[in-house]
Amino acid sequence: MPEKRITIKATRYDPEKDEKPHLQSYEIPFYDESMVVLDALNYIKSDVDGSLSYRWSCRMGICGSCGMMVNGTPKLTCNAFLRDYWPQAIVVEPLNNFPIIRDLVIDMEDFMHKLKSIKPWIIRKQEIPLGAGEHRQTNEQIDDFRQFSQCINCMLCYAACPVYGLNDEFLGPAAIALARRYNLDSRDQGLKQRLPVIGDSEGVWECSFVGECSVVCPKGVDPAKAIQQTKLDTTMRFVLPYGNRE
Amino acid sequence: MSTGARQRPALMHLYWWFLFSQGGVIAALLIPVHVLIQGILGPLGVVRVVDRHYDTWVQVLGNPIVKLYLLVLIAVPFFHFAHRLRYLLVDFGMPVARTVPAQAVFYGGAVVVTLLTIWVLLTTAPLSLP
Amino acid sequence: MPAGWWTRKRHYFLYVVREFTALPLALWLLWLLVEIKRAGDGPARYSPHGSTAFVVFSVIVLLFALYHSVTFLSLTGVIIRVKLFDRPLPSGLISLAMFVLWAVASVVIGFVLIWFGR
Repeated sequence: MPEKRITIKATRYDPEKDEKPHLQSYEIPFYDESMVVLDALNYIKSDVDGSLSYRWSCRMGICGSCGMMVNGTPKLTCNAFLRDYWPQAIVVEPLNNFPIIRDLVIDMEDFMHKLKSIKPWIIRKQEIPLGAGEHRQTNEQIDDFRQFSQCINCMLCYAACPVYGLNDEFLGPAAIALARRYNLDSRDQGLKQRLPVIGDSEGVWECSFVGECSVVCPKGVDPAKAIQQTKLDTTMRFVLPYGNRE
Repeated sequence: MSTGARQRPALMHLYWWFLFSQGGVIAALLIPVHVLIQGILGPLGVVRVVDRHYDTWVQVLGNPIVKLYLLVLIAVPFFHFAHRLRYLLVDFGMPVARTVPAQAVFYGGAVVVTLLTIWVLLTTAPLSLP
Repeated sequence: MPAGWWTRKRHYFLYVVREFTALPLALWLLWLLVEIKRAGDGPARYSPHGSTAFVVFSVIVLLFALYHSVTFLSLTGVIIRVKLFDRPLPSGLISLAMFVLWAVASVVIGFVLIWFGR
């Protein structure tokens, strides 16, 4: 039986030489049914063209480094199986809506800045000393935020979000989902610090609930839900006569 | 992005979103049946609908509860429509729709429709208790 | 962001349709306002709108109205959190409640519109 082959068209861009990014075709052997797009890129880098640049680390959907556009859809390339595309060619491009640094590598500075702005850590009005023991939570209290805590910062949701694509000032899906994760945590008391950021004009109100962020999330987080629930909660605080306006 | 200097969420956005969501609920729950009956079944003569005859229409319109209902039915959804259409323009590549003047035009339009509806309801069919 | 981004994915396109429903619904409500205004014309000059074009327009509006109702009421289930005995109700149940409310409201309003039409 002749060896199966598959064509990968990957974005190439060298800011020092190229005026703009272009696609380059590589035909590589498809020797194992469990091969993913990341395996194909690794094959190209080691056997065909060592100059191809891309981010990756864990190969198992945990680190969130290998997100790219696969046939126009943001995906973790370690989780995109060649068998789902073969015999068609696969177009691999850097994540949408971000500046390209080189080839398939995007500049994530903006995202990191936004992530930090919502203070994604437990904030206490008064720190409890370690010696005082653990913060106890019931299963129900954990269930409140568990889903939103699965985020691996892979930025697929930003690549899928047309609102972010049209206005990069928008705080964006992952950052707001993570803010909600902490705001829903019974141990956290930092809502007051996060509210001015998530409730700002470039925060939740910018979202028009396209919902594609939740579709592309590889970890089953639902950022669209987090954003709409934040809108509703925030609104109720200020609209209801007995709302907490702090 | 906020620098963190502000202590509160953007209140105007908050209030517009509140009206947007209320208008969306009212539009979803109430509009289809009105369109079906007053827009299709009535004109086709399938059923006898209240607005097909002057007497029945004026009698119903004179009821203060009906006036209040019609005000809610017509005015509140316009805040929903204004919000959606403004964001749709942004989606279509018109960032000017995000500006404060654009907000004034769209939400102001909804306020105008509200006032117009109040005026129509108060000047048409005198109040009469059932 | 290319101008036609919303034509590139079915999900994006359906989102734009969902947002666009606002326009036909707004036009139809303005018509209803005109229909109310007509009641001020007096018994002799009163003529309710009933042309074929208007019925066709209403049929189109009804399709958009139904799309708005179905999408909006489904999404409320995602957004609204109701806790019963410390456990959140499943979003499907909240959506179902909204659809039941929609059905009840439609029957009541439909009944009023037809009952007083006699």
